[in-house]
Amino acid sequence: MSAHEEGNKRSLSDKPKWWDTFPWWGIAIVAILSWMGYQIVTNNSYELAWDRVIPGISITVTATLQAFAIALALGLLAGMGQLSKNVILRNLARTYVEFIRGIPILPLIFTVALVLIPQLQNALGFKLSFQMRATVTLAFIYGAYMAEIFRGGIQSIAIGQVEAGRSLGLSRRQTMNSIVLPQAMRAIIPPLGNDFIAILKDTSLLSVLGVLEITQRARQFSASTFKFREGYFVLAFIYLILTLGLSLLLGVLERRMTRDDRDVRSNRGID
Amino acid sequence: MISIKNLSKTFNKNIHAVKNVDLEIAEGEVVVIVGPSGSGKSTVLRCINRLEVPTEGSIAIDGVELTDPECDIDSIRAEVGMVFQQFNLFPHLTVMENICLAQRKVRGRSKSEANEMAMKQLTRVGIPDKADSYPRQLSGGQQQRVAIARSLAMEPKIMLFDEPTSALDPEMVKEVLDVMLELASEGMTMAVVTHEMGFAKAAGDRLVFMDEGMVVEIGPPSQVFENPNEQRTKNFFDKILY
Ligand SMILES: Nc1ncnc2c1ncn2[C@@H]1O[C@H](COP(=O)(O)OP(=O)(O)O)[C@@H](O)[C@H]1O
Ligand SMILES: [Mg+2]
Repeated sequence: MSAHEEGNKRSLSDKPKWWDTFPWWGIAIVAILSWMGYQIVTNNSYELAWDRVIPGISITVTATLQAFAIALALGLLAGMGQLSKNVILRNLARTYVEFIRGIPILPLIFTVALVLIPQLQNALGFKLSFQMRATVTLAFIYGAYMAEIFRGGIQSIAIGQVEAGRSLGLSRRQTMNSIVLPQAMRAIIPPLGNDFIAILKDTSLLSVLGVLEITQRARQFSASTFKFREGYFVLAFIYLILTLGLSLLLGVLERRMTRDDRDVRSNRGID
Repeated sequence: MISIKNLSKTFNKNIHAVKNVDLEIAEGEVVVIVGPSGSGKSTVLRCINRLEVPTEGSIAIDGVELTDPECDIDSIRAEVGMVFQQFNLFPHLTVMENICLAQRKVRGRSKSEANEMAMKQLTRVGIPDKADSYPRQLSGGQQQRVAIARSLAMEPKIMLFDEPTSALDPEMVKEVLDVMLELASEGMTMAVVTHEMGFAKAAGDRLVFMDEGMVVEIGPPSQVFENPNEQRTKNFFDKILY
């Protein structure tokens, strides 16, 4: 009892001052964004740049969503593939992941979009726009990263959970879907959110194929008007708004999904 | 009902966890397995529902050969309940959902049928009021009783218990043993690994003493316990009792 009280007293006196925990960084970011926004609204050159760059946002957003969705499917497949009993599946998945992870994004985009996909197009007789080719490449790259996230998340679930499921007569698939994956989501969602934001930023690489997303439009504007400061300032502003907005959104989702994470973890364990 | 013949299990080519074990468990019989840590008790139990695949020998449940690669292991497991030392409840599901999951997916019961069965089993283990709780909100003893209810809801022919009270605080051991005693008195076929000698005497039809992967001695609990034929058995009981 007395020890308890003492503990309370200590934690009271150790309570950090409000300025120690206040989110100053949030204030700083809001201030910078407001200042940037003010410049764009009040300054003609910035407004011009804004008008030229902003139409690219639909491509940026579309490419982000498409690449994320495809990457999610690929990542889940490859992540589960690596854990598969089937030796062929396992090695296929591993090869994909190691191959992609070993090459920087830019060379991969050139190789896939300008060499691999054209050859496939010739062989199979379909046609993809440059935007789609770059999006697919991004998806393949992030699919490999996500495979590792899925694999890690699934492996973080104690073997006892699987054994309990299988002992009740559930099949491998039922155990995976009803028991392992729902629990693994807690470990999977935060890093997936990071990749979501990373994909958004990496859609700027679509510009190397001439796709008219916001980076390419900013480049064109700056090159033709020599207003480099205005062009890239506006570009940075748009990316910041997009990534910060997305990160806020993901934060809410994450808090919902992991609300009782701590309690859940204490219940894990195997013989 | 369970027929184990010449069962051997080797891990990593050189760990001989179980060696040439023969054991028959009749319908309605309660067999208690004891032995020092690492003597292969869990491995024998886990072979019975093929959580471990035997290296050698055969196991038949109701005449169905488990080692036959053609056998439908999922439907066999549905008939064999397993209770683990660490409970292994599903932490993301409520007690009710824990008990209904396999009933719905494996037995194909409707939601209301499954719920009804779940309430019946929860009442049987004495915690019908915990249906909507999450496992983390329950004490260890309550969690283990939910785990037992979850297995019973599948209406298994056999129940396997692997040290069901070893992870519990002492004051919670009795509430779990009481449930198991009741189950035994209702005629459930049971194989129980435990060091609770009170339970073995009260409910056990036979006591199996294992050491170094082998069955050293089998007999009525009070005889093996008080009057063992083997010196190894005697040494073991001398160590665990005082
Ligand atoms: N999955 C495993 N891999 C390697 N060795 C194992 C495994 N499971 C059990 N063993 C070994 O097999 C032996 C018997 O283990 P176990 O059946 O768990 O004994 P008990 O339940 O009687 O304590 C021990 O030496 C243990 O280390
Ligand atoms: Mg054991």
